[in-house]
Amino acid sequence: MSIASIITIVISAILTDNIVLSKTLGICPLLGTSKKTDSAVGMGLAVTFVITVSSVVCYGLFKLLDFWNITYLQTIVFILVIASLVQLLDIVLKRFSPTLYNSLGIYLALITTNCTVLGSANMVIDYGYNLLETFVFGFFTGIGFTMVLILMSGIREKLNRTHIPKPFAGFPIALIIAGILAMAFGGFTGFAF
Amino acid sequence: MEFFMTYILPVLVVGVLAAIFAFCLSFLGEKLAIDRDARIDEIERNLAGANCGGCGYPGCAAFAEALFKGEAKPDRCNPTSAVNKANIARILGMSEEKSRETVAVVHCIGGNKCRNKYDYQGYGDCESAQLIADGNKACELGCMGLGSCSESCKFDAISVDKDLGFAIVDSPKCTSCGACVAVCPKKIIGRIPKDAKVYVACSNTHRGKEVSSVCERGCIGCGLCAKNCPTGAIELSNNLAAIDYDKCIGCEKCKEVCPRKCILPFDMHDNAAKRLKNK
Repeated sequence: MSIASIITIVISAILTDNIVLSKTLGICPLLGTSKKTDSAVGMGLAVTFVITVSSVVCYGLFKLLDFWNITYLQTIVFILVIASLVQLLDIVLKRFSPTLYNSLGIYLALITTNCTVLGSANMVIDYGYNLLETFVFGFFTGIGFTMVLILMSGIREKLNRTHIPKPFAGFPIALIIAGILAMAFGGFTGFAF
Repeated sequence: MEFFMTYILPVLVVGVLAAIFAFCLSFLGEKLAIDRDARIDEIERNLAGANCGGCGYPGCAAFAEALFKGEAKPDRCNPTSAVNKANIARILGMSEEKSRETVAVVHCIGGNKCRNKYDYQGYGDCESAQLIADGNKACELGCMGLGSCSESCKFDAISVDKDLGFAIVDSPKCTSCGACVAVCPKKIIGRIPKDAKVYVACSNTHRGKEVSSVCERGCIGCGLCAKNCPTGAIELSNNLAAIDYDKCIGCEKCKEVCPRKCILPFDMHDNAAKRLKNK
């Protein structure tokens, strides 16, 4: 465990192995909440928050499952954790930080069924990270997700102002752009630090 | 032992975890529940329920809360009927105020007198121009005159004067629905009482020197209007004059002393514009 490995995790979580563009997780929020930059930022913040906390909690629980040799329960336990965590956040934020709660809005509840969260919790296990690495990975995966959402929303806000052939308007052009973005990010593949 | 490890333990683990989470959530849910005054709900029931956002709050629920806290007045809401507004005033224990009819007004008369940062040749409305370096006007709070507001208006009450270069509200037609207020990317369209005599025709909050370097008409925050107002209805905030219409008596003294002529008489906004053009 060194600074270098942490930096590698940061770079790969944001650029080379971006959760949306390289792992193709979280396509639904990518298309659903990238129409406006405001909502993209809200969704990104909420996801970053939940990914970070849930990765760490799931990491701890996996150790427990591993101890009892029942790691096949991983998925169901993680889903349980994430769903409860989102509910918990909902209650706590509503009480202690109404401002943040209002700015996250509906997106907080939507994260329950967001596959980026479960995906990153699983990846942490697959990669065999330790606690600090898990925390860093979770946080920067969220940052990477937010970045792609903001990129997409910026492009889509522009697209609304252009004349797109009718068959391509709406989701088709959004998917094409997601593909082009993914190819652009493919350029980072193979970078080693 | 092996039976326990294979069959009982997994069930136990998931069951206990679920029970712990359920307990925590229900406990916290009760402990941290927000005490909501029943009156807020009653206020919300009296509001129009259109969730139009015209009041500046995210929806009727947020507006009801603001009303309850005393942050807003019922007349901020236009769609709510007078009867319901009286109900709300009663719930809040306020003396029943006669709510004023409002009308939209563009707080900018820069137009062609305001320098352009660049030559815009895009799609052609304000929202798209705003995406490119915050619009083509050197003043970041100046009307770009590309007509997003007039497109949004269902009553044909706001239009851009090509010679002047800024949007003008045709007050008799304006219903104060708030569509243009919401759509303007510069947020420089506001509402003022229909019986207002004057309005501030600038939104720039920068210092005088910066304002005069980009626009010939903008408010430089000199404060002459505030000093000369007999009722203290004008206050300077952020280098910009703001009129409190509850105190304004319509003497138009501010209009006379304004060195930039950006406090304009409001005996219909477009008359003011016509007068400008003739000068």
